[in-house]
Amino acid sequence: MVHSEIWTEKYRPSKFEDLVGQQEIVRRTKSLVQALNIPHLLFAGPAGTGKSTLALIIVKELFGDSWKENYLELNASDERGIDVIRQKVKDFARTKAIKDVPFKVIFLDEADALTREAQQALRRTMENFTNTCRFILSCNYSSRILEPIQSRCVIFRFKLLEKKDISEIVRRVAKAEGLTISSDAYDAIYEASEGDCRRAINLLQATASVSLDINAEMINMIAASGKPIGIRVVLDYALAGDFINARNKLLDVMLKESISGNDVIKAIQKEIWNLPIEPDIKVKLTEKTGEVEFRMIEGSDEFVQLQSLLASFVLAGQGKVV
Amino acid sequence: MYENLVEKYRAKSYSELIGQDKAIAEVQQFLKEFPKKKALILHGPAGTGKTSLAWAAAIENNSEVLELNASDLRNRAKLEQIVRPASIQKSLFKQSKIILMDEADGITGTDIGGIPELERIIEITRFPIIMTCNDVWQSKLAPLRSKSKLVEMKSLDTIKITEILRRIAEKENINRDINFFTKIAIKSQGDLRAAINDLQSYANEENLFVDTSEKRDVEENIFIILRKLFKERNDFLDLFDSTKMSLDEIFLWIEENIPNEYKNEALVKAYYALGKADVFRGRVYQNQSWRFLVYQNIFQSAGISYAKPSPTYGFTKYEAPKRVLKIWLHNQKTAKKKTIAKKYAKFVHCSVKRIMRDFDLLKPIMNNPEVQKQLNFSEDEIEFLKSQN
Repeated sequence: MVHSEIWTEKYRPSKFEDLVGQQEIVRRTKSLVQALNIPHLLFAGPAGTGKSTLALIIVKELFGDSWKENYLELNASDERGIDVIRQKVKDFARTKAIKDVPFKVIFLDEADALTREAQQALRRTMENFTNTCRFILSCNYSSRILEPIQSRCVIFRFKLLEKKDISEIVRRVAKAEGLTISSDAYDAIYEASEGDCRRAINLLQATASVSLDINAEMINMIAASGKPIGIRVVLDYALAGDFINARNKLLDVMLKESISGNDVIKAIQKEIWNLPIEPDIKVKLTEKTGEVEFRMIEGSDEFVQLQSLLASFVLAGQGKVV
Repeated sequence: MYENLVEKYRAKSYSELIGQDKAIAEVQQFLKEFPKKKALILHGPAGTGKTSLAWAAAIENNSEVLELNASDLRNRAKLEQIVRPASIQKSLFKQSKIILMDEADGITGTDIGGIPELERIIEITRFPIIMTCNDVWQSKLAPLRSKSKLVEMKSLDTIKITEILRRIAEKENINRDINFFTKIAIKSQGDLRAAINDLQSYANEENLFVDTSEKRDVEENIFIILRKLFKERNDFLDLFDSTKMSLDEIFLWIEENIPNEYKNEALVKAYYALGKADVFRGRVYQNQSWRFLVYQNIFQSAGISYAKPSPTYGFTKYEAPKRVLKIWLHNQKTAKKKTIAKKYAKFVHCSVKRIMRDFDLLKPIMNNPEVQKQLNFSEDEIEFLKSQN
């Protein structure tokens, strides 16, 4: 365990035995590590399900005290270009490992955020340095990882934590921190966490900073305050015909919540089916949404394209097919 | 003796200024209400009578004029030395005084500190300050804009210019038929000064052919461009050639103002065109294929103009693009948030993006003194976190 007052770190498991959930994956990776030889690994699954934690456990088991010298962690969603692969990754990969394990480990978190070019570069790097370096990649969707990279890895699919798992983790933390938690608060934490363990613990700590006696009402209040303004507000303005406000809200959402255009378009695509409009119009809007998403990938201005999509929602609000 | 007709016939009273009744009324009101607003900016295309109006106002109010124009050095020291005392001391000979800062957009890089000093003079002046410029929306004029009353001078139409030319010709014994005057008027594109100069230079030529396609390079201001684009229905393929503003900058102006002008189907069509313009712009940049600029231009001009079923009339107030500024302001504000998120993210094995997104939820945790110590937060960052509550 790491000494820290940030609970997600303080209570991050450092041994296979401490992990909650994902039992099948734990069992298999453990046996790989015991053989002191791992292949390249690809961890696919939603946020907060233990991908980074398992990667850390693996390197700690492999390298013991010298794990820090033999381990490089990069987050691809912050550094997603080809330069990262060409420089940081290659520089680290080409030098020999210290200690009796013949390789080093690079953990590339959120690898699905890497650009196509960067993934191409990664593929070559994985091959060329396979003697000195092993890769653990994590991603939300394995489909966004190039096929040749997938084929070089053993893939593990992480599932959202179940309610009993989240509750078990909350119980452990609460016990260590001396918190009293009402039984409905367990439900509330699970609901708000949506199976994301990181979110569950953050929520618990944020609430505990207000009171050591925790009930569902408090959890819900704190969860709501940290919840971003939804894209729905933007769409509702547009459907009501108030384009200017819809556009202003959109910019607010994107700036204040630091949400990329790509995330906005995904949220819109999902939200269309909850809107009070005719199904045939929903299909039309979906088509437009897909076109806009494609254009963004192609390199268009996100905000301009989203505005043009919003304009279609104004007509949809009047029951007209776009 | 050669005498310049432009100077000879420069308007010396309000009544001699043709076609600018609205601007005259606003200047009169400004002088009457002074010092409610201390400065006024007359803006509009060349040759619409900005300088003439300022002088006419001085004459009508029996005021002395202190004029500085682009030919004068207008840096901080110079303004401090000449304009500042003049803005406080009484006029020696006349009842009052007007300070005329002609061609204010000509205060350039070499006039170091000129604009800020002008701002300070506006604060302390006891006399009205009138400034003139072509494009009042340049960023360097922003500080003056906020302290001044803005009065727009519109280009004169061909009929009015023709009429003025005819009158001057009469007095100067230039005998030409009405067609001659009309041709010059069309060629001038609303610039009266250019028209009078042409009248003078062509007056003595026996057989004159005025080529109406040969136009002076006028710098159209963005508002005129937007008005044409949004009100009229036309191909407008060359519309943007008349401004020095880049296609991308014009793009932002159009983007900002579409919803001010179009509703419903027209709104959708206009954004469709703008979206396409943007797609081609992206291709220009990504592949360095400049050929695609043609498509961007067409969608951005004809595409926007034809988005409406028929021409529209009436006044629309166009606004300067706000998005870029908003993003910039936001970035200033979140710069600190980001440095905090970076430190936190590295420690908890998580992306900066996700921390930024969950920032509100994490605030109570980041406000824990132990955590702040462990993550090495600076004083500033700790202050920022406190102020966020």
